[in-house]
Amino acid sequence: MTALVLSAADELAGLHDEPAWLRAKRRQAFAVYERLPLPQRTEEEWRRTSLKGLDLDAFQAFEAAGASAPATPIADTAGVLRQSGSEPGKVEIDPELSRAGVLFVPLSQAAREYPELVQKHLFQEVRPDRDKLAALHAALFSGGTFLYVPDGVSIAKPFVSQFWSSTGGALVLPHTLIIAGRGSSFNHVDEFLSPDLEQPSLTSGSAEIFAGEASNVGYVALQRWGNHAWQFADERARLEKDSTVRMVHAGLGARFSKNRVEASLNGPGARAELKALYFGTGQQFFDFHTLQQHVVGHSTSDLLFKGALREQAQSVYAGLIRIEVGASGSDAYQANRNLLLSNQAKANSIPMLEIMNNDVRCTHGATVGPVDPEHLFYLESRGIPPMVAQRMVVHGFFGQVLERIPVQQARELVEQELEDRIGF
Amino acid sequence: MADFEIKDLRVGVEGREILKGVSLQVNRGEVHAVMGPNGSGKSTLSNALMGHPSYQVLGGEVLLNGQSLLELQPDQRARLGLYLAFQYPIVVPGVTMANFLRTALNAQRGYDGKDKAKAIGPKEFRELLAEPMNTLRIDKSFLSRYVNEGFSGGEKKRAEILQMAVLRPTMALLDETDSGLDIDSIKYVSESINSMRGGELGILIITHYTRILKFIQPDYVHVLVNGQVVRSGGSEVADQLENTGYSEWVDEPAAAAAVAEEV
Repeated sequence: MTALVLSAADELAGLHDEPAWLRAKRRQAFAVYERLPLPQRTEEEWRRTSLKGLDLDAFQAFEAAGASAPATPIADTAGVLRQSGSEPGKVEIDPELSRAGVLFVPLSQAAREYPELVQKHLFQEVRPDRDKLAALHAALFSGGTFLYVPDGVSIAKPFVSQFWSSTGGALVLPHTLIIAGRGSSFNHVDEFLSPDLEQPSLTSGSAEIFAGEASNVGYVALQRWGNHAWQFADERARLEKDSTVRMVHAGLGARFSKNRVEASLNGPGARAELKALYFGTGQQFFDFHTLQQHVVGHSTSDLLFKGALREQAQSVYAGLIRIEVGASGSDAYQANRNLLLSNQAKANSIPMLEIMNNDVRCTHGATVGPVDPEHLFYLESRGIPPMVAQRMVVHGFFGQVLERIPVQQARELVEQELEDRIGF
Repeated sequence: MADFEIKDLRVGVEGREILKGVSLQVNRGEVHAVMGPNGSGKSTLSNALMGHPSYQVLGGEVLLNGQSLLELQPDQRARLGLYLAFQYPIVVPGVTMANFLRTALNAQRGYDGKDKAKAIGPKEFRELLAEPMNTLRIDKSFLSRYVNEGFSGGEKKRAEILQMAVLRPTMALLDETDSGLDIDSIKYVSESINSMRGGELGILIITHYTRILKFIQPDYVHVLVNGQVVRSGGSEVADQLENTGYSEWVDEPAAAAAVAEEV
């Protein structure tokens, strides 16, 4: 049993047989973690987000592999990585793809075998010094996935990583690093999964995506941690010229979930699609901070976050479109829509713009409200019972995001999860 | 007793009484028209009959085949055979027409997601849709579109009549079904309605203008003014209105022209 101390970083590095440079990186991040205080509500980003009840001293630094995970519902894949607790993951990959130069391996193995590739990218977009929890993630991350697809390689079937936690009371902090070569095209799904457990856990599920020139990357995060989890994660994509990244986040689990979803557009013709859906029940709390950063012009970003909240569930959305001085001819869209399914549910929505260049097209909008009674009346007037009508309207509300999930089986899984939650 | 009876119906909206005692009787096989100027209570009548929550019934009775409707929820009224073709059909994002129609049919058949034998099969569903879609000139692709989303005015109204043809009500209320229709659409819509008329179906057309009545000849015409039926008669009442407008009851300049409207 190890508390959150410096030696835990070494133990984790040892468990994953990591090279010295990565061990040093962990130690550096741990120093940042020790230096920084917990985020305070006086900080704008945390103004509506309370960490009350979060006790970092209550967590073990890592979790032993426990009971085996349920089979991933996504059957037809290019490669699968399965990781239980903090133990190194196991990978299966289509040998054809390995011959084509595709690397799909546990992150620690990549750090040993392809240090030049990993070192250059790891924690460059997801910065450990951003706050105490980001530093903790970088210091004590529990392995994760490395996916590299060489120039010009197109892969139809998705890569799937499943992170399973079964005991609780510990940190479970997987990290995903994706590098897309020039003109490559593929989809990756991260599934974060645990049952509802007694003891609280601290979980993440951060991802860094480097989309090379003219690449086309789909990334899906299925956040299905149990209701004991405190979740903090950063998903961030960096897009080069003419690349397209489509990120879809499904926020379904965790008691507390704080996600930053960000894209920086660094080349003309880059296109980032950021989509998310979340469904809160009981006491669940979701906080999404998003950033669409247009560093250069003639780039496009399109964000749509849709959430439904039942019982006393709450959400916070704050999104920023930032257009840098030189980024003329940018198109940026941002919308956050919230459906309140009970009187006690609450949603806060704050869209923001920071535009340093006037030659741009930007729209943003936010809505918070109950199901439209006119929608229900219309469906009911055709003989559809009120409960069924309500379910159809809520399901339909998520349609625009669901249809953007690039992997069909992931889409079906999310649809089923939504059905279970709507279940009036 | 008539198959569909409205007895002394009084309805208020936001505390104001709009319908001040309306009585009508429609038998199966008959087509009735309720005509009236703006503000006469036509929309209130159709919405209240269907059970829209914003309309308060202040008094009266409505019976469909002897069953009292006013205490029932909209979906229960629909399953008893009442249908409302909306004046302004509602957009329901993310719900496909196919899903909508199938769910409505299943509800009518008492399928609650458990007894699969009650659910409509894909083949039967296609067959049910084939003829009305053909008559209404509705393309197959329409079924995968979201309910009324991005539909033109004509498409929306044709979709209303398609739903009616599929659900086969015994009493249909057509609320301003011809408004916003181009001449082709009005032909397809009336062709479809005329193919359904007679038999078990009673129809109540609610309209300001006489235009649609040239395509669907009513057996009876009632004039609704200021929340009350002020005249009832045969189709000659509509002919008169075309000449005189509602000027007999309300101050309405150029009334005759307004009632006739361009066809």
